[in-house]
Amino acid sequence: MFFRLISSPPLQRFLSLVSRRASHAARQQYDVIVVGGGHAGTEAAAAAARVGAETLLVSQKIQTIGALSCNPSLGGVGKGQLVREVDALDGLCGRAGDWAGIHFSILNRSKGPAVWGPRAQLDRQRYRTFIQSELLSTPRLTVLEGSVEELLLSETNPEEPGSHRVTGIRLANEGTPISASSVILTTGTFLSGSLFVGQSESPGGRIGDAPSSAGLSHTLRERLGLRVGRLRTGTPPRILKDSVDLSLAHIHPPDSHPTPFSFLNTHTRCKPEEQLPCYLTHTTPGVERVVKESLHLNCHIQQDAKGPRYCPSIESRVVRFPGRQHQVWLEPEGLTSDLLYPQGLSMTMPPDIQLRLIREIPPLHRAEIHTPGYGVQYDFVCPTQLSPALQVKSTQGLFLAGQINGTTGYEEAAAQGLWAGVNAARSALSMPTVALSRTESYIGVLIDDLVSRGVTEPYRMFTSRAEYRTSLRPDNADLRLTLKGFEEVGCVSPLRYQEAVRVRDSLQEAQAALQTLSLSSPKWRKALPDMRMSETKNTLLTGMDVLQYNDVTFEMMSSAFPESLSRHMEFAQRLKIEAVYKPHCDLQKKEIERIQKEENMSLPQDIDYLTLPVSMSQEVREVLDRVRPSTLGAATRLEGMTPAAIVHLLNYVRTAAQRERRTQRHQKEEREREMCAREAS
Amino acid sequence: MLPSIYRGIWGAAVHTLRTSTGTPPCRFLSTCEGVPFGLADAESIFALSSGHGRCGVAVVRASGPASATALRCMTGVSRSPPPPRTALLRSIRDPISKEVLDRGLVFWFPGPHSFTGEDSVEFHIHGGPAVITAVLQALGSVPGMRPAEAGEFTRRAFQAGKLDLTEVEGLGDLIHAETEAQRRQALRQMSGELGHLYQDWTHRLKRCLAHVEAFIDFSEDELIEDGVLNQVDRWVCDLQAEMERHLKDERRGERLRSGVQVVIAGATNAGKSSLLNTLCQRPAAIVSPIAGTTRDIVETALDIGGFPVLLSDTAGLRESPDLVEREGVRRARERVEQADLTLVVADCADLPSDAQQAAAFLQEHLRSVLPPQEQPETVFPADRLLLVLNKMDLLPEEQRLELDGELRRVSGFPPVCLISCHTKEGVHDFLTVLHSSVKTLCGDPLSGAPTLTQARHRAHLQQCFSAMAQYQRYRDLDLALAAEGVRLALTSLGRITGRVGAEEILDIIFKDFCIGK
Repeated sequence: MFFRLISSPPLQRFLSLVSRRASHAARQQYDVIVVGGGHAGTEAAAAAARVGAETLLVSQKIQTIGALSCNPSLGGVGKGQLVREVDALDGLCGRAGDWAGIHFSILNRSKGPAVWGPRAQLDRQRYRTFIQSELLSTPRLTVLEGSVEELLLSETNPEEPGSHRVTGIRLANEGTPISASSVILTTGTFLSGSLFVGQSESPGGRIGDAPSSAGLSHTLRERLGLRVGRLRTGTPPRILKDSVDLSLAHIHPPDSHPTPFSFLNTHTRCKPEEQLPCYLTHTTPGVERVVKESLHLNCHIQQDAKGPRYCPSIESRVVRFPGRQHQVWLEPEGLTSDLLYPQGLSMTMPPDIQLRLIREIPPLHRAEIHTPGYGVQYDFVCPTQLSPALQVKSTQGLFLAGQINGTTGYEEAAAQGLWAGVNAARSALSMPTVALSRTESYIGVLIDDLVSRGVTEPYRMFTSRAEYRTSLRPDNADLRLTLKGFEEVGCVSPLRYQEAVRVRDSLQEAQAALQTLSLSSPKWRKALPDMRMSETKNTLLTGMDVLQYNDVTFEMMSSAFPESLSRHMEFAQRLKIEAVYKPHCDLQKKEIERIQKEENMSLPQDIDYLTLPVSMSQEVREVLDRVRPSTLGAATRLEGMTPAAIVHLLNYVRTAAQRERRTQRHQKEEREREMCAREAS
Repeated sequence: MLPSIYRGIWGAAVHTLRTSTGTPPCRFLSTCEGVPFGLADAESIFALSSGHGRCGVAVVRASGPASATALRCMTGVSRSPPPPRTALLRSIRDPISKEVLDRGLVFWFPGPHSFTGEDSVEFHIHGGPAVITAVLQALGSVPGMRPAEAGEFTRRAFQAGKLDLTEVEGLGDLIHAETEAQRRQALRQMSGELGHLYQDWTHRLKRCLAHVEAFIDFSEDELIEDGVLNQVDRWVCDLQAEMERHLKDERRGERLRSGVQVVIAGATNAGKSSLLNTLCQRPAAIVSPIAGTTRDIVETALDIGGFPVLLSDTAGLRESPDLVEREGVRRARERVEQADLTLVVADCADLPSDAQQAAAFLQEHLRSVLPPQEQPETVFPADRLLLVLNKMDLLPEEQRLELDGELRRVSGFPPVCLISCHTKEGVHDFLTVLHSSVKTLCGDPLSGAPTLTQARHRAHLQQCFSAMAQYQRYRDLDLALAAEGVRLALTSLGRITGRVGAEEILDIIFKDFCIGK
């Protein structure tokens, strides 16, 4: 059995990080530069380095690399799937979660394995330490503290599409240019960010940090001509734990057996008994009163930038759903932290009123605020301007990931970061970029939704966004992605690959063993006396058929047929899930194959849709011109696309490909003729 | 529901209106028979391949692996396959009741030597609507068979490499025409009683799905009221009961109006009602010299050269302060949108005397009558539009000739008929033109094909009904699979009423529940 003990991150090595940067600052040339050290930036930098690129991560403050800016938790319903997928592609956040988690639970446990949501409360300090030490021990990765003043632009490469080209960055103060083939921006809420508390507004992306340079924002908008929009978000006040009367809240214990996020871990660092509980309480009519009385003092709430519908501030909850109780979770911030995080109480009113508000909630009636809540408004780049590789279509060498693309959430950011990192590195190393399909992963769903539909409010992952939800389960992310990640993408280590191969082979072997167990229903009833089987016909049923039954477990089957099954006990749960979902997934497979075929038909990025010599309405032309779908599959999903236009497009692409082949053949013949002529002379 | 199981290019290509998606209808027919998942690999399709006017022989075609089953259980051809591509005279029976439906010719085309490259079977049967309906319904009850979507036979032929690129070039236009015809037909149905019923079901299913999805995606973090699922259980039960009743009692459903839909439209007082009266040779509509006399739709069923036609007279199109008249105008525009053929009537007396100006005037007039989405860029759709210039007796002979010449010269004009309802001059020629237009439309298998539409609706409803059983089966075992059932049900219904996207479901979730993070 594969077993990995998490080694303790070498803290002393982390301390040397700062000194290390000095020695590397001399270097002026990298393959990939990542700007920003949040969830997107760290995954991007690590992924780019794994793919083989010399990578530089630039962050304003090395200390805040890997910081959890908002909630101290990872995963959840839909988001947990993303964490599993990032892990399957050898990303950081799954292992960091296992290292830093202090309260693990599988959400939706009763609702079917396809929608299980692995989640953990995290120790902020541990999470940051893990991420920093991982980055430090990643070969080919350098970390530099600094603020990026602007992007270096140069002549475009005529062989690739795009009207601009980014070739590096210039740091503030020093003014030294550092060049790179690819630059990834993961600036989060810092792009023209403004912080709001009460009626005051100040520039910045996170409290306690300097605002990012206006130069970057200017370059994106004015020099590269990118369309940007504005979004808002917020965070709750942090509360001193000692001032809270937790006996007035409902205790919410973690799972007694923590389930790790990572496919490589069999257990978490935190022992089951060391885990901390969460607490649940509710708002009262008093809370509503305070909100309503203070609305005029709250300029964030009066702005019209779009906020997330699913992570609303307490103000917008109360305004939209008056007269109701709202849940408030009191979450630990760490094993030794003296703070609590009140999830559900994101607010932007003046600090004195925040205090009045929280004291209307029974367990918080004497609570003290450590840091007040605040709102952030920030620019995002409309993501329809990106390719599925997360590259800006109009600009060679520029990639974007995270909140800058209009998403919200650590997991969404990490997933994009990883994928942008992979592609930035591949592009820098002259390898073709790669895309993930929405039929194979939540990451694919996320990116496809972003680049082909855009966002109107902060985008968050839900399981209901994935139409192939029953196939894209948290349990099988390794089979879906790790193999591909190693064989085609190059972002997975051989160690993880070998493990995934072992798992795949064992699962196949076990399923074959179940398939060969073929008995009549009376015989099954005899073998598994605890099973209630209503099947009366004398048809033969295989082990896979029987394992579908609700009250049959693999353990039961294994003890009935130990000689063929007991050695597969390691995968008891996965086999049970496979058996239940297999018929449904088989149904989806055909559909998926058809879609993948269409997604493999790529549309040239330089088509001039407005003058394309095929019959197409002006409206369709404009949609195509605006979005520039990269595949035929993406084109079919566009709003306003007509069937006739798709057929014409298909036809155009096919004939274009034929023309291309013909021209190549002609050129080759031409060359050969020339050669012959030269030889003859 | 999701951006939903995209059907891919052809799916998208083929469904503009009902762009739904998803699972082929018969997948769940087998689940309702108690076989959990033993499902056919590929879907088989069938359709009436001949036109819909009165005809002596109708051709029904089926393609796909279930064709052999259909052949066997509907014609009693013995186990060994019949000789390929040979006409066999057979009694055609219902596969379940074994009742004889018709006696006709049967052809067996084993793949790959068939139009689609798959196993195919053709039934050449008598052309009466009752026989056609019966055979289509019988095919629908063969396991693995479902009604074909528009253009689907062609699509399969294309995929099997049976069409070359030049043929594909024409395909886009063909599909466009087909989806247009379907769009018009769906609009007609959707404005009726049946349409309201389906819309209501869709609405309720959407809500069911939204509530299940809310429970899956949010209940762990949020206050999702207890009993949300119990409510969904009740809704699903009610819907199932209603659908079952509907499926059992076919008479309950509104009869789809059959025949080519011809609509008379134009400015007030151009003589539209006179034209209706002239055509049906009786005063079906009130005619008066007062503009705005006709305010509601006047409908008459006619037989033009043997083809069934439903002729509607509409209110004259003009801005009016009168509420009743305005409603009449709205209905008139709606009817034009649903029409297979529009007769645009203009008054010769309104025309400028200069022929060129008159042509420009008429062009403008045509544009004002046609619905915006059918506005042509250059050419008016000649097969769906006739321009009737009434009151020709008011024009002097030379002006008439000049105008006629000019209109023939200007390209992009639909066929033009000069008539006088008053003196009956030109009416005979007009009838000839009208007859040929109607004939062309009836040759189009997609206009006014209620039998096929009914069979398709039935299959989708049946599938929807069965998918809801999946919800109940998995309700307590696996909510993800239960939700899949509701989603499939909605997808099936969406094939009749139009697609439902993920964002729509999320909108309901956020409207109905107080969702935080």
